Amino acid sequence: MPSLTQSMVAPALNTVFSLGRGNAKIKPSLIMVNNVLGLQDAIITVLDTFLPSASHGTPAPIPWLIPRLGINVSMAACVSMRDELKDVMILGVLSLLIGTADANCIVTVAWDFQ
Amino acid sequence: MIELKPTPLATVSPGVPKLLQEGYYVRFTEAWPATHSAVRGKLFQIAETNPVPYDVFHTLPTNDYRDVDLSNSAGGENLYPTNVNELYEVLLGFKPGNYLTQIFIPAGEALSRLGEASMNPSPTSATLRYLGARKPEDSPYDDKRIFMYFVKDLEPLILRLLVDTGIDFEKCVLGFTVNKCRLSHVAAPNDEQMRKAKVIRYYSELRW
Repeated sequence: MPSLTQSMVAPALNTVFSLGRGNAKIKPSLIMVNNVLGLQDAIITVLDTFLPSASHGTPAPIPWLIPRLGINVSMAACVSMRDELKDVMILGVLSLLIGTADANCIVTVAWDFQ
Repeated sequence: MIELKPTPLATVSPGVPKLLQEGYYVRFTEAWPATHSAVRGKLFQIAETNPVPYDVFHTLPTNDYRDVDLSNSAGGENLYPTNVNELYEVLLGFKPGNYLTQIFIPAGEALSRLGEASMNPSPTSATLRYLGARKPEDSPYDDKRIFMYFVKDLEPLILRLLVDTGIDFEKCVLGFTVNKCRLSHVAAPNDEQMRKAKVIRYYSELRW
């Protein structure tokens, strides 16, 4: 089960945790948001980015970016999620987006491939 | 040439190999057309095998579908043999998800349909999309139960992947095991060989 810890420093960009795998979905197993030293509340969105295959109804598909989970973590708090993630599946790239970039907000994500 | 093996009700020990093995016999029925004269009505012994795993995957939007051609034609997945003395035993299993699979051979002709003219699978129908549809749990990725048998130049077999409603997108992951079998013709088979042989039927025999 891979995991990765990153600072949420990229404001307009997604912080990518896993590029995913063609023949599997990503199942996040742990998200820990350490905002103890954060300068403000952290508003984080778990994003799923992928390019669908051509289909009968959409022969020329475009990339999609779908929010799969929203997390608000107060300043000076640390939140860990496991059970809440059991029904969250990512079809493509797993990334996180923070409302306001903050180098002191540290996020750890662990995941499996299914 | 297409089988859905049910969940076993009993187990035997020692276990029986799931795939065709070296030394096994296969017999093609007389229903195979003249275009397949290399195998029609003949019995073969399997000289050697080589199982090759392969995955095909597509992310599709809700209530939409895509046809996956397993043949060697342009745009196909190229899972058919290229020599007349080869038989490909192809196992198919699905990773879990909210999707259905219809089987067509050749294109446009559903393998599973009923006698009444309107009872043909249709992806645009709220009810007929479920007619003959295989769900992922029918043939799990790690316990494949759909067996297909391909020879050179067999008509294209199409898998129609339909993402059912109630979800935005679904990733459909098809797991294949292509058991490459090299065939050795038995010119004068005896009764014992005929009795032991696995019968490979033409698709027209399955769709009655």
